[in-house]
Amino acid sequence: MASNDRVRVRGVTIHRPIIYGNTAWVLTPNEREALPSPDHTHRWTVAVRSAASAPDSNEVGGADDLSYFIKRVTFKLHDTYPNPTRNVDKPPFEVSETGWGEFDITIRITFVQESGEKAITFYHHLKLHPWTAPGSGEPEIPTLENALKAGPVHSWQYDEIVFNDPFQSFLNILTAHPPTPLPKVKRRPVPYHIANLASLEASKGGTPEFTQEMEKEEAERLDKALKQIVEDTHKWRNKLIEKENESNKYKKELEAVLQLKSK
Amino acid sequence: MAASAADVRSILSLPNAPGTGPPTQAKKPQAAERAKKPEGIPRELYALIGPSIPTMAAQFAKPRLKQKPNIGGGGNVKWEWRPFRNGARTDDLRLSHWVKSSVDPEADYPFAKYNVQTTPYVYSQDEYNRFLEDSNWTKEETDYLFNLVREYDGRFLVVHDRYEYPGGTERPLEDLKDRYFSICRKLVRNRPWPGDEASKAALISTLTFDKDKETLRKQYVASLVNRTPEQIAEEDALYLELERLKENERRFKKDRDELLRTLCGIESGLPDIAVDDDGLAGTTLDTKKKRKAVAGSVEPQTPVTPSASSVIALPQPQPKKSSAKSAAYDALHCIVRTEVEQTAGSSTKAAHVPVHLRTFKMAQPKAAVAPRVSQVVGEVGISATRIVMPTRDNLAKFASVIDAAQQLVEIKKAVDKHEQDIRTTRARLAILRGENPEGEGEALETPMDVEEGEAEGDVEGRGQSVMSTRSARSRKQGRRSMSVSSVDTANGPNKRQKQR
Repeated sequence: MASNDRVRVRGVTIHRPIIYGNTAWVLTPNEREALPSPDHTHRWTVAVRSAASAPDSNEVGGADDLSYFIKRVTFKLHDTYPNPTRNVDKPPFEVSETGWGEFDITIRITFVQESGEKAITFYHHLKLHPWTAPGSGEPEIPTLENALKAGPVHSWQYDEIVFNDPFQSFLNILTAHPPTPLPKVKRRPVPYHIANLASLEASKGGTPEFTQEMEKEEAERLDKALKQIVEDTHKWRNKLIEKENESNKYKKELEAVLQLKSK
Repeated sequence: MAASAADVRSILSLPNAPGTGPPTQAKKPQAAERAKKPEGIPRELYALIGPSIPTMAAQFAKPRLKQKPNIGGGGNVKWEWRPFRNGARTDDLRLSHWVKSSVDPEADYPFAKYNVQTTPYVYSQDEYNRFLEDSNWTKEETDYLFNLVREYDGRFLVVHDRYEYPGGTERPLEDLKDRYFSICRKLVRNRPWPGDEASKAALISTLTFDKDKETLRKQYVASLVNRTPEQIAEEDALYLELERLKENERRFKKDRDELLRTLCGIESGLPDIAVDDDGLAGTTLDTKKKRKAVAGSVEPQTPVTPSASSVIALPQPQPKKSSAKSAAYDALHCIVRTEVEQTAGSSTKAAHVPVHLRTFKMAQPKAAVAPRVSQVVGEVGISATRIVMPTRDNLAKFASVIDAAQQLVEIKKAVDKHEQDIRTTRARLAILRGENPEGEGEALETPMDVEEGEAEGDVEGRGQSVMSTRSARSRKQGRRSMSVSSVDTANGPNKRQKQR
């Protein structure tokens, strides 16, 4: 190992796209009876994976093995689970359980030693019940039969782990494992996200997949929103200036009248 | 645009005049004679060889020139007198003009696009307080300036001519321009911008105005115009003198090089004497010295002339190239490179930004306005706290959305405040006004009193009569009580109906 391996490469920011979240399945009555706790209604898997999906897998994401830079992922489950802190030291970084309720899972990612970085912590809200459009009148928690028909529930968040000025040795490790790029076009359903309510329909019908199209679509949405807001701002600013002038006019009139009165 | 006689004729649908037609008929016999001779062969040569060797003709043929453009369409164009609509007009004035009949009657008036409107810039009190304060200008005078600029469509000479701010000082044109453009720049810079940074920078660059430079320029021009004949003569003499000196210098250089060549025997090593006018300029002296240092080591015996040193090619420091290949590499590995500012030594270690999820750095609205901001962005279909694909670009866009929404919320708040102000001021004004014409000379009637009066009027029938007597006394007061009652929402609409 050369000594300059422990030198930070300044001016370089390198990131790795990941997704985290869960998939949940409704248990059939038979499966439920076989469980030690028959009040559980769902089976779920919470995971941290690479963003791109493997071409022939039925999973969301997970095309790449992330263990080259992730040493351990800790999932902190609800306290009612036996030993709720689950450490996963080798891929796949996921925990499968059964349960009946939704709760927040704290996820902590520890990086390999070469990175010289501290662990990062964030959380994911475990999603068991199907997505519904707000105001559609559909019950938030449908009956188990209906939920069974609707198929598995996916709740995934795309994110990027950003390393600033990485050590040369760590940079070498990272560049030795380029991430699989996201597919350019949509091949499978879109992963539903509450920041994009319009994607509900497109998310139905199978295992979703993250694509570059989603990024572009969101960029367009943001651009459009910005344009709209700037237009509104312009309108309101003109209104404000109008009101200011009006207000000043009245104030002057008032002063004039008051002066007249005091004479 | 000069219309030819042919154009006029075609417009007026006249036949071609015999005199102005192409003079082909007159030359016809000549042309027929010449037609025997293949084109391009000199007459003398043709006389010698005769028509027997036609293959040669091609070699003498003149290169064909491009055909002359047929302006006016050879008289086949129909012109029509047609009404048209000018898209740049706000009124519906219909004018007519001559157009070729081939022009699409539905087409836009082609000159409408030259009616360019300048964007009027206006600012709110808050914006003025935050960035536009200037100790030399009051807000009123600035408003006055902006009104004038708007009125005269940005023609600053006119603006300057009409500029008579009461109680203000005499201001030169540069002052006005400087104030106006600096405000425009600040507004553009500080307002949310819907496009990309490049278009913003482009707009700002069109709004630049360098007051000092402009003043200096005018001074120069003025001094140039105001020269006396003696000064002009002196200048000319000096110019001639300078030219003469330059010429001397050139000749001297040439002689010296010649001498060097003969002395040192460098016949071909020296390139042509390239020492020209710029050899005189002071700036090249530095580079000469530098080169001397480099060249001196190579041929220390020879006194180095600038021309000699220029033979040695200096290796240019290669600028860092961001080739397409490395860009692709960076994209593949998700690498973003930023310029590192050169710090003196490694002792000053910049704070290391630890590893993070991209969303950790998401823009957040100020806590005070957060609910209203999220409402605003929600209306345009954006979540204020979450984003589907938090990539670098999208987060930047998101940040500008949040920033713009924040500004919008602030403006809306200010509008609410002013509306409130207007309402209270108007109410007070109404009370004062209502009192004065009566001449009762009482103390101010409070809104409470008015409401009591209204309440009396609530009784059926009596309200009617009260109102009518009041309005008979003074229309103004009637209106006044209505406006006051509209503020009072508890028993508003029902009562107002009765008053009408």
